[in-house]
Amino acid sequence: MLLSFARGPGMQVAALIMVVGMFWRLAGILLLRRRAAHAAARNPFGARLLGGAVTVFTRTIPRRTFWPRVAPGVALSYVFHVGLFIILFGGAPHILIIHEIFGVSWPDLPKGVIVVASGLTLAALIALLVRRLTHPVLQLLSTADDFLSWLIVFLPVATGILLSGETVGGYGTLLALHILSVEALMIWLPFGKLMHVALVFAGRGVLGYNFARKGAAT
Amino acid sequence: MRDETVGDMLGRRGFSRRGLLKFAIAMTSSLALPPSLAPVMAANLAAARRQSVIWLSFQECTGCLETLLRTDSPTIAGLIFDFISLDYQESLMAAAGSAAELTLRQAVAANAGKYLLAIDGSIPVADGGVYSLTGGRTNVSMLQEFAPGAAAILAIGTCAAYGGIPKAFPNPTGAVGVEDVILDKPIVNIPGCPPIPEVLSGVLVYFVSFGRLPDLDDQKRPLAYFGTTIHDQCYRKPFYDQGKFAKSFDDEGARQGWCLFELGCKGPTTHNACASLKWNDGTSFPIESGHGCLGCSEPDFWDQEGGFYTSLAGGTGPGWRNAGIAAATGVALGAAAAIAARRKVP
Amino acid sequence: MKQYDFLGDDLVVNALLMEVADLLGGLIEQGRGGSIDLLGLPLSAKCMAAVEARLGDGEVSASLHVSGESVVRETAFAGVWWTRHADEAGRVTALLIEVAEVPEILRASLVDVRAGQLRLREMVAR
Repeated sequence: MLLSFARGPGMQVAALIMVVGMFWRLAGILLLRRRAAHAAARNPFGARLLGGAVTVFTRTIPRRTFWPRVAPGVALSYVFHVGLFIILFGGAPHILIIHEIFGVSWPDLPKGVIVVASGLTLAALIALLVRRLTHPVLQLLSTADDFLSWLIVFLPVATGILLSGETVGGYGTLLALHILSVEALMIWLPFGKLMHVALVFAGRGVLGYNFARKGAAT
Repeated sequence: MRDETVGDMLGRRGFSRRGLLKFAIAMTSSLALPPSLAPVMAANLAAARRQSVIWLSFQECTGCLETLLRTDSPTIAGLIFDFISLDYQESLMAAAGSAAELTLRQAVAANAGKYLLAIDGSIPVADGGVYSLTGGRTNVSMLQEFAPGAAAILAIGTCAAYGGIPKAFPNPTGAVGVEDVILDKPIVNIPGCPPIPEVLSGVLVYFVSFGRLPDLDDQKRPLAYFGTTIHDQCYRKPFYDQGKFAKSFDDEGARQGWCLFELGCKGPTTHNACASLKWNDGTSFPIESGHGCLGCSEPDFWDQEGGFYTSLAGGTGPGWRNAGIAAATGVALGAAAAIAARRKVP
Repeated sequence: MKQYDFLGDDLVVNALLMEVADLLGGLIEQGRGGSIDLLGLPLSAKCMAAVEARLGDGEVSASLHVSGESVVRETAFAGVWWTRHADEAGRVTALLIEVAEVPEILRASLVDVRAGQLRLREMVAR
């Protein structure tokens, strides 16, 4: 049965591929040779590390100069990301999975909150797609990776909403589809733009470290 | 006696037609039929003659038979069940050995084309089916001999319907359900480990009253009883909706009667009437008694991922050891890629 | 039964009562009423009680002692009967709103009548 596969072999394969993939990419990037920096460092090591750490957070808000251009995309993106965070870490079934894997858990948020967050997350996702399809610059820049990554995130959110709503379709089928769509996301995650889940923070950190080394403003 | 109708039999036992009508009203309600069919059902039942049922028990634990025969008598349901069921396993074995064989063959010949074949237990097919024999004959050969003359086959219990516990990994006997052996007869699956007694009497009453099988779903189960899931009818659903889950057996939540989803309840994916009909004449059902649904009326429920106590949200992951191996593999691949790239950097 | 407990409780009750009124129309015009199987509807206990209360009590109440106890009660509306069947264990096996001059279950069946006549004659003959 589809659900048996999703909860069993499907989950095992997807998890293993995700782990292999993520470590592959991270190791592959971290072990690359970097051009030696021959200029002397303007700041001691501690300050450089601090610069790296601080940059991870300061880059959360774009520079004021760019706001007119980037604000809509950034705002929508935050609605999506925060909404997804609420669903994943506040929703009872997801906390249950984390508990089953890691042994830790915490109280879940009321279902009404999750429902609202889900709706906003879905709306933001769709709005982001529309933006990508209609924005002149984004139209030029968008690749298949962007659209595949969008779809592979959209499907778990959509199937999750249908499953928790319990109005359309059979519970067993929807659950299987939801789990399978999450497995697809897990498999694709290390290999495309979705890998930003790990790389964005590493990227900001390295950037901040290098700027601090040069004594530049971050 | 052979030509006696159900109405005659009930009259003999002191039941009025009014009693029969009351029974029919309860049956139409249970079968989710329109109430206007009750008088029709009562009239048809009154005029019905004995419906031959040949009961063959295969690779089973006898739990299904026990469940179905422990229904209270002398209710009308019990009497009708007794009346229309000609051949039980027990009455076959009352005449033992070759005499039993003769009884069976006579019954089959006398009712050719009209008897209902009731099967409980799975059918082992490995190694020529030697793992379950009756009087030296394999279950497979008996099923194949007696199925063609039947009007329909009732696969009673999860073993007969889908293979049940004998089919659980590694299935050493090659156990399968009736529908995997007989491909050209109407089959009604009445799964459950064991099935609810009222479901069998409902199907039999329907068949005797209307001359055909009730509407079935895509797994050949009567829609009237298997059309909804346990979750749909569960009295603890409000707790599910409110996110109130018992975290362990006998914790505070469990004592308050909260939802058992996190303790592995398979109610949402299990089709049966346990939450409405309940067991032992409406006494209780597993969830009401504090244990999650096992999903016993679904195929392969013994082998489900994670077992009975892993929630539907979870399953069987790769495990930490395999994840560690995967991580090491990833690092090795990444290192190889980085080294290959280094070669290119001037 | 699945329970619905929402703001529309009143709507559900009214819809059900409208259906009863329609069945009464059938009884008046064609001599044929009908029955509503209450256990087959997703009614909450509150809704069920509300319907029973709105229909009220009438002039006739009959108890049946056959395979357990049943009660057939005419409501405040002539021709609308509230029927509750229970088995020997007291468990409700059917709950109906019946629209008829007299519910079928109250009528004596001719088969039973014939059997009774035989017994009566035997009793007198003894």
